[in-house]
Amino acid sequence: MSELRKDLVTGRWVIIASERSKRPDDFRPVTPEKKEGGSRFCPFCMGNESKTPPEVFALRESGTVPDGPGWKVRVVPNKFPALSPGAPPPKSAKGIFQWMPGVGVHEVIIENPDHGKELSDLETAHIRDVLRIYQKRINAIEEDLHYQYVQVFKNKGKEAGASLSHPHSQIMATPIVPKRVKEEVYGSERLFRTLKECVFCRTLREETALNERLVLRNDRFCVITPFASRSPFEMAIYPLRHSPFFTSAGDEELASLAGVLKTVLTRLKTTVSDPPFNLILHQAPNPTVSQKAWPGIEQYFHWHMEVLPVLTKVAGFEWGTGFYINPVPPETAAGYLREDK
Amino acid sequence: MKKILLVEDELPLCLLYEEELSAEGYEVMSVHDADSALDALKNKTFDLIITDIRMPGKDGVELIGQIMGLRKDIPIIINTAYQSYKEDFMTWAADAYVVKSSSLAELKAKVRELVKD
Repeated sequence: MSELRKDLVTGRWVIIASERSKRPDDFRPVTPEKKEGGSRFCPFCMGNESKTPPEVFALRESGTVPDGPGWKVRVVPNKFPALSPGAPPPKSAKGIFQWMPGVGVHEVIIENPDHGKELSDLETAHIRDVLRIYQKRINAIEEDLHYQYVQVFKNKGKEAGASLSHPHSQIMATPIVPKRVKEEVYGSERLFRTLKECVFCRTLREETALNERLVLRNDRFCVITPFASRSPFEMAIYPLRHSPFFTSAGDEELASLAGVLKTVLTRLKTTVSDPPFNLILHQAPNPTVSQKAWPGIEQYFHWHMEVLPVLTKVAGFEWGTGFYINPVPPETAAGYLREDK
Repeated sequence: MKKILLVEDELPLCLLYEEELSAEGYEVMSVHDADSALDALKNKTFDLIITDIRMPGKDGVELIGQIMGLRKDIPIIINTAYQSYKEDFMTWAADAYVVKSSSLAELKAKVRELVKD
């Protein structure tokens, strides 16, 4: 029989449909995704810097000039952004309808110059550099207090929303704290009052003791397939050191996280035939905003990352109810993801 | 006289753009699909390309990708009725993205900006 499982923090329900449990091979694409031809133009490739807006940051070889070749990681603003920088004027309203101008920041982090080299193919030190750049950009954007939330994410593969296969991540900053972020903050605050401790720290302790959904654990990070996983082979990556802010991670933590990401993304690739996925950073809103709106957030929120493979379709039932149907129990997924192939 | 290649499948729009841009002093050649645009680029030189995205056959995003293989130096303006193609990073191969409107002021301003004397 299937199970209804509740995500403690967000209150979201998931149907774990174990009676139609699938194996990783069941998700192998019938026709392998057509790779972009080598001749296809890519605005993110080395040599095409003139096709992007001027870089806001880059790790470069010494002696090279901005917006020219010789870079290792490059950050550029979105050329045709959905949200544009600027101070947000107050919200407007007409009757019950509210709106505000599309103010925000949208940047693209080109993770390496090689079109075919995915994040998991990079050296651990290079992945650490990408993570460090996430931190630098978050810190720079959060200096402007208009930006209440900074979202870092990566879409890999067309089905996950990537329009180019050249490996890249994105940063978007919004002048409001998004609803899902608020739900997570309020949920963790509520559970802190009940449990008298951070729900994420408690989850890590219980998951480690149970050892049913544990994928990997080292001295700084823990990776699990969440109890109420929405997607087959979904993973959550938690630092063992409690902190609400990703930007608080030090060099050693970032180096460890880089190694963990390389391992779990490689395992996902080999276990489930290189699926499309979304990598999402969950962190507390802009610290200045957080301290005012959620006093005590340092105690109850815990930054983490989610890896969400896109292996099922979100359709009418999911949109209508907010329920997800997951045909692979997270315990089964963890079993596969623990194996090094 | 500066030459513009206009790639647009809707004939009335072609006529309107030809008239308006000719009045600004440009020579405009219109084609109605991507393959005709690629043929034109092989045979003639242009100072600017204006392309629609939704067209029969290859779309405008695929077209600009192929133009990059032929000529990277010609500025390109995407002129579409849809904002949503901005999410496709291949559109970065273009120099401007102008959403179609009843006023051609923005399009004309971008043409003036990108066609150098």
